[in-house]
Amino acid sequence: MASSDPSHPDHALRKLVLISAQLGALIAINKAGYLAATALHLPLPGNLVGMLFLFALLRSGLIPQAWIEETSSILTRHLAFFFIPITVGLMSYSRLLVDSGVAVIGTLLSSAAIGICASGFLAQALVHRREDRRGQEARLMLQKEDR
Amino acid sequence: MKLIFGVGVTLGAYWLSRLVAKRLPCPFTTPVFFSTPLVILALLATGIRLEEYKPAKDVMVFLLGPATVALAVPLHKNWRALVENALPALLGLAAGSLSTLIVAACVAKLFALSSVVVASIAIKSVTTPIAVELAPIVHGDPTLTVGFVVATGMIGTMLGPWLMNLVGIRAPLARGLALGTISMAMGTAQALREGELQGAVAGVAMGLAAVLISLAGPFALSLVL
Repeated sequence: MASSDPSHPDHALRKLVLISAQLGALIAINKAGYLAATALHLPLPGNLVGMLFLFALLRSGLIPQAWIEETSSILTRHLAFFFIPITVGLMSYSRLLVDSGVAVIGTLLSSAAIGICASGFLAQALVHRREDRRGQEARLMLQKEDR
Repeated sequence: MKLIFGVGVTLGAYWLSRLVAKRLPCPFTTPVFFSTPLVILALLATGIRLEEYKPAKDVMVFLLGPATVALAVPLHKNWRALVENALPALLGLAAGSLSTLIVAACVAKLFALSSVVVASIAIKSVTTPIAVELAPIVHGDPTLTVGFVVATGMIGTMLGPWLMNLVGIRAPLARGLALGTISMAMGTAQALREGELQGAVAGVAMGLAAVLISLAGPFALSLVL
């Protein structure tokens, strides 16, 4: 009973070991992704290949989700943290932002707007078409029943 | 000593941003946008140069790899949302991520931005951990790319729902897909606020857009540059 108490030292230790083991597994899969990308000359980032490896393992059921759930949820929840050290490097790009700020913002705004419209309109049109077809099928069924 | 200071300042700024975001959730309090200036200010105030911050950066960025791999878990969880809507989701996703890449590259080129900036801005609709790795492959700069991804995340979150209302994109699936495809993690968070289907579709779109752009991006970009 005592070990199921979250404040019990045994529980904390077990959790630490669990998280470390899961982290080790994720690091190993990441490494495997990089090795595979290099060995097979894939034009893909190694961490993306690692993500696809894990996805394949999860979908095939070779690794149950519960085995890596804990650490994965911690890492993805705090994913934003890992970008801060990278964006700090922007301090050496202040000239670009001063000189071409308008160009950069114009590019970002126009491309985001067009991307959102392209993706949204196409998906919506296809969803509606599918719904129309289902609606027609349903109407046909009703007409048949009427007869 | 500088290593500990660098990691400490970054952790502190991140912790502060989460505290503020809890009280005041808006695009300006998202961790990266809020914390980056804080860390830069701390470095400037203490006279620590960027090269001296690098060891601390390397320690922290090490975990980005396994964190990216962990994105497979939400992808796996939300896979059903995709399979049930495979055709609209996949085609909408491809249209969105390729059009945003091509438009970004063309407009940036029209503005006569340097080829490094063009390459870095073109891949801004790829989730950050993968964009960082993709940047050198397309001869862009990872730091610039992260800045552009974050800016795009904010633009999509702030203006996306408004724009979609304006032009009449109302189907929940389409709204979630557009937000996830263009604005990645921040867009997915916004889509979750609109509803569960929107969030799930946005999450899958984020993962798949990264795969698609990694595969097709270098080629599409070579046509523009």
